[in-house]
Amino acid sequence: MLKIENLHVAVGGEEIIKGLDLSVGAGEMHAIMGPNGSGKSTLGYALSGREGYEVTEGSVTFDGVDLLELEIEQRAAAGLFLALQYPVEIPGVNNAYFLRAALNAQRKARGEDEVDSMSFLKSVREQLKLLKMDEALLKRAVNEGFSGGEKKRNEIVQLAVLQPKLAILDETDSGLDIDALKLVAEGVNRLRDEQRSFIVITHYQRLLDYIKPDFVHVLSDGRIVESGDRSLAERLEREGYAFLDEAEA
Amino acid sequence: MGSLNEKLLAPSVETGDGFDALRRQALKVLMQHGFPHRKVENWKYTPLSLLEKRAFAQADAPQASWPAAEVPAFAGGLIHLHDGRLDPARCCLPDGLRLEPLTPADVDTDALDQTSSADAFAWLNIARLGQAWRLTVEASIADPIWLVETFSAAFADAVHPHLVVELAPNVELTLVQSQTADGAGLVNGVLEIELAEGARLRHLIERASGETARIQRTRARIAGRADYRAFVLDGGGALTRQELILELEGADAHGGIHGAALLHARSLVDYHTAINHRVGPSTSEEDFRILADDAATGVFNGRILIVPGADGSDSRMNTGNLLLSDSARINTKPELEIHAEEVSASHGATIGQLDDTARFYLRSRGLSDTQAIALLKYGFAAAAFDGFADGPLGDWLIARLKQHLGDDA
Repeated sequence: MLKIENLHVAVGGEEIIKGLDLSVGAGEMHAIMGPNGSGKSTLGYALSGREGYEVTEGSVTFDGVDLLELEIEQRAAAGLFLALQYPVEIPGVNNAYFLRAALNAQRKARGEDEVDSMSFLKSVREQLKLLKMDEALLKRAVNEGFSGGEKKRNEIVQLAVLQPKLAILDETDSGLDIDALKLVAEGVNRLRDEQRSFIVITHYQRLLDYIKPDFVHVLSDGRIVESGDRSLAERLEREGYAFLDEAEA
Repeated sequence: MGSLNEKLLAPSVETGDGFDALRRQALKVLMQHGFPHRKVENWKYTPLSLLEKRAFAQADAPQASWPAAEVPAFAGGLIHLHDGRLDPARCCLPDGLRLEPLTPADVDTDALDQTSSADAFAWLNIARLGQAWRLTVEASIADPIWLVETFSAAFADAVHPHLVVELAPNVELTLVQSQTADGAGLVNGVLEIELAEGARLRHLIERASGETARIQRTRARIAGRADYRAFVLDGGGALTRQELILELEGADAHGGIHGAALLHARSLVDYHTAINHRVGPSTSEEDFRILADDAATGVFNGRILIVPGADGSDSRMNTGNLLLSDSARINTKPELEIHAEEVSASHGATIGQLDDTARFYLRSRGLSDTQAIALLKYGFAAAAFDGFADGPLGDWLIARLKQHLGDDA
């Protein structure tokens, strides 16, 4: 589904990703861990097409299409979703209006019919209920006045409504208490199927207790330096990232 | 070109209608102090060169043809001025509302400055007083009353409508002042509002973009427990100067100003607001936003005054401004003047551009950049109207807001 080869990304002229290779197959769950400043969030932004994240070398294909040629919204319509580490507040725009506009923009770009208001609301209400979120949030401005946990859960509501092929979760677990963490993990697990893939960026093993990744990668200084199964995450939890230095030495 | 005195003043003619003394008084102030210029602090950012370039006709005859006033089906009544003139036969008001000619005793000049040119246009309104009306509201009306002001494309006059609105104790009304701006004339209006004890007025002002120069002074006197809230949606225009003055004159009076001005092309729009807490406890809130695109200029000056002894007053003001092009300009100034000890007052002012992170966020969910910008502009403006109204009037306002923002909203 996603194939990244020799990716180099610079931000403000400084190279952050320095030759990254990663393949994500359909239905796979990949976790990316790594120390602060290793380039985890940069990878998410670069794949989403955010301005200022300049791909200087390498290639990314997504379902056989050159992802780097697509505009941000074209990547979304193609099925890419980035759950932000710090979801943005949009004052004055209510959640329901925004989410329906986003869904219909994607559907229109794919040549699909727009969803009507009734069936849209039914689907969103179901998701809110599953994530134990108050329905009143639909009428509130996007993320405005939301607690940290509500913002993260709201990202999962968007994920569930937009139904992307590949979801990148950028530290969606940060700032969550254990109950909210479980709700988010359950939300993600409900969306797992043979076609939908995930890249979960996280600092901590605890999210991976609830979301069982198929693969774990360690990102350090802009490159994937170690890959393995879940046991790699457990080792990182026990030993920290110090063993990376030892391996290099 | 020519001086505004030459263009706008006319020799005093005695008409015997009871207003002659007032007209003479006004003319005297104008002859003495003239019209404001940019060295007058309150007019610093609002050049009147547009008026100096225009030649105003002085047609006194009513227009031969009146357009239909566009009001929604849920309107509870209509007052329609066309080219600045009112034909009572074309108004339609429910029981409890009475429209009648103004009497000289209704004209309040006490609050006008006689020592400078600061209030020159209000004096001009009186000096040139022609048609003037008083609307008395003696019963609560559930459905909003529309005050429609239309202008023909050929409108090139200088007109000076004067309206006094009085609400009896404890009555409630929603007044929607809806203005077009098609002709290249000047409408120099005065609207005096008086709310008796416990009265409530929701006053929506909606202005379409156009060539008509608009100078409007609106003053609301708010008695104890009364509640006045203005909601302004301004689509820009060649020249608009709105003075909006709220006088909180009784205990537990409340005043609110909420507005969004959506400016484009070469619009010049200036809102000077003043909320005067004359008595405490009294409360007020203000949230005014300007979005300036192209080569538009927006001015906001919001003044809060709490006089000595108005203890227990609470006032909150916020002005948010978005610059949408390199050529647009916004001048914004909150002013707090507090002479009482036991009060709570806050103000905030921001000027910025569209947030790139928010744009990215919206696009990452599938919206095009054009849609994202439109949605951010919409959200920024709509936030000024939080809690305005549910139901048809709220829907109407949002629809008008989207229309002002263009097709992408």
